[in-house]
Amino acid sequence: MEQNTFLKPRTISAIKDFICVLPALVFLGIFTYYPICKLIQISFTDWNLLNDTWNYVGLKNWIWLFNGSGTKHLLNSLKVTVLYSIGELTITLLGGLAFALIFGRLNKTFSIMRAIVFMPKYVAMSSAAVVFLWILNTDTGILNYLLNCVGLPSVDWLGNRNTALLSVLMLTGWRAIGYGMMIYLSAMIGISKDYYEAASLDGATAVQSFFKITLPMLSPTTLFLFVTTFISSMKVFQSVDILTSGGPYRATEVFVYTIYKYAMEDFRMDRASVVAIAFFVLLLVVTASTFKISNSSVHYDS
Amino acid sequence: MKGTNSSLERQLAAQRKKKIVTGVQYTLAIIVTLIVIFPLYWMISSSVKSQDEILLLKPTLWPHEIHLENYSNVFNRVNFGKYYYNTIVMTAGILGSQIITGVFAAYGFSKGKFKGQNACFIFVLGALMIPLQVTFIPIFIMCANWGMSDTFLGLILPECISPYYIFMLRQTFMAIDDSYIDAAKVDGLGRIGIITKILTPMCKSTLFTTTLVTFTNGWNSYFWPKIIAKNEQRRVLTVGLAQLKNTFAGQATMNNHEIMAGAVMAILPVVVMFFIFQKYMLTGYSKAAMK
Repeated sequence: MEQNTFLKPRTISAIKDFICVLPALVFLGIFTYYPICKLIQISFTDWNLLNDTWNYVGLKNWIWLFNGSGTKHLLNSLKVTVLYSIGELTITLLGGLAFALIFGRLNKTFSIMRAIVFMPKYVAMSSAAVVFLWILNTDTGILNYLLNCVGLPSVDWLGNRNTALLSVLMLTGWRAIGYGMMIYLSAMIGISKDYYEAASLDGATAVQSFFKITLPMLSPTTLFLFVTTFISSMKVFQSVDILTSGGPYRATEVFVYTIYKYAMEDFRMDRASVVAIAFFVLLLVVTASTFKISNSSVHYDS
Repeated sequence: MKGTNSSLERQLAAQRKKKIVTGVQYTLAIIVTLIVIFPLYWMISSSVKSQDEILLLKPTLWPHEIHLENYSNVFNRVNFGKYYYNTIVMTAGILGSQIITGVFAAYGFSKGKFKGQNACFIFVLGALMIPLQVTFIPIFIMCANWGMSDTFLGLILPECISPYYIFMLRQTFMAIDDSYIDAAKVDGLGRIGIITKILTPMCKSTLFTTTLVTFTNGWNSYFWPKIIAKNEQRRVLTVGLAQLKNTFAGQATMNNHEIMAGAVMAILPVVVMFFIFQKYMLTGYSKAAMK
């Protein structure tokens, strides 16, 4: 390349710089952007993995999804996913903030306790899930044993459609709450002591200064947690897969699980594709709207 | 503020109040910590109990006897050693490729200069919006057609570039002054030299923390391995553990001691790493928060 007299050194340098990013571009093209196009194509076919051939069927799958037998499943997935997201957001944001206030003391004992509370984030979901399966077990689980001890009846945590989603949230919340706490704590440490001193000189109580100083100063952190948790919670799959397999009666069938079921259990690639596209659009809408909120309602410390 | 007496009283009252607050905080913190650690304690303590003890109507908090053979039984029941090997190779593959491609791409986007740089970067960021949970159907079909079902390549390939990793490194590289790069160029260092001798050492800590996040994500990944590696031969720990439960054919609750032993073994490497690199583990996440 160096002997090339037709190209200026600056052009060669630009080409070399481009080559640095080229693998990433090619890869993302093949494994991210191309599949989205392919997905749209599949959504217009009747592709079933069990058959050898497939044909274009026009809007058939889309009609199935929005105005046919698929609609109620779509609405169910939407409802379950939104409920789940609200749950995880509440646990991560409110729970995380509460934990940050409880564990905010800076000494050795508290730093050990913080590490313990944060650790579940690193426990593989599979391991955590099998433990929760057992803790929540109707007959032999320790949670029901404890409930019985204080005179309450046993609950069929995972088999009851009213408590199944709550059980999934217990597991994911257990892993998420320490993370919320750590993010809040590291932001709290960054708030200047001067504000609190000034407030206490003016006679503000601890509660007042929490609502007037801490909370507004934490709003960028809250927003960050809100956006990232919201988007990641919509993609929940593993906890549902191991704990409830979407049941009972689809009470925990979140979006990703629906897509997974159509594709990998029923082999209906056509139906899985339309649901996947609907899910993708939902993700885009959520992301776009959360970013819109972020531009209007966050207080930044100058 | 009338007399010294009342101000002294007020001070004492304030001190008393502070003591109560401290007491309440300690009590709350200890209770919460015990609740949070309970599932892990339960996992570990159950993993060494005997089957009889597991089935007691009144659960025992502390195991009566230690049964370490539960652990070896897991190896007899499913190919846990193989799962370990598969997980290690997969995680190493993902880590290696994400680091190499990530470092080069981050260099190109931060210190390089070429036409369409911004458009290319937006192309990378846009990929952040398209998760595998949406695109897995075509990717699965592609990989199957290329004969990559139940292979390491199939496990690694869809995860081998991370837009998140590129983004994080690019932000870090941007912070480094161009004069270092220019000086290195004058000294005759090429791009690879600049990346390995200047940028990487200067961004050691970010590189390390981001890599830790990548490692745990890889080790704990479940969705894609479950889809592409159904076969025993290339099954990873996370999927294998869920499978272990099924080998008891509906009798899982009778054999929870062995399942818990498997669960402990599956998390051991990451939990050990967590305690060693505790400080870095947090900054890995909070750095993303600060961006």
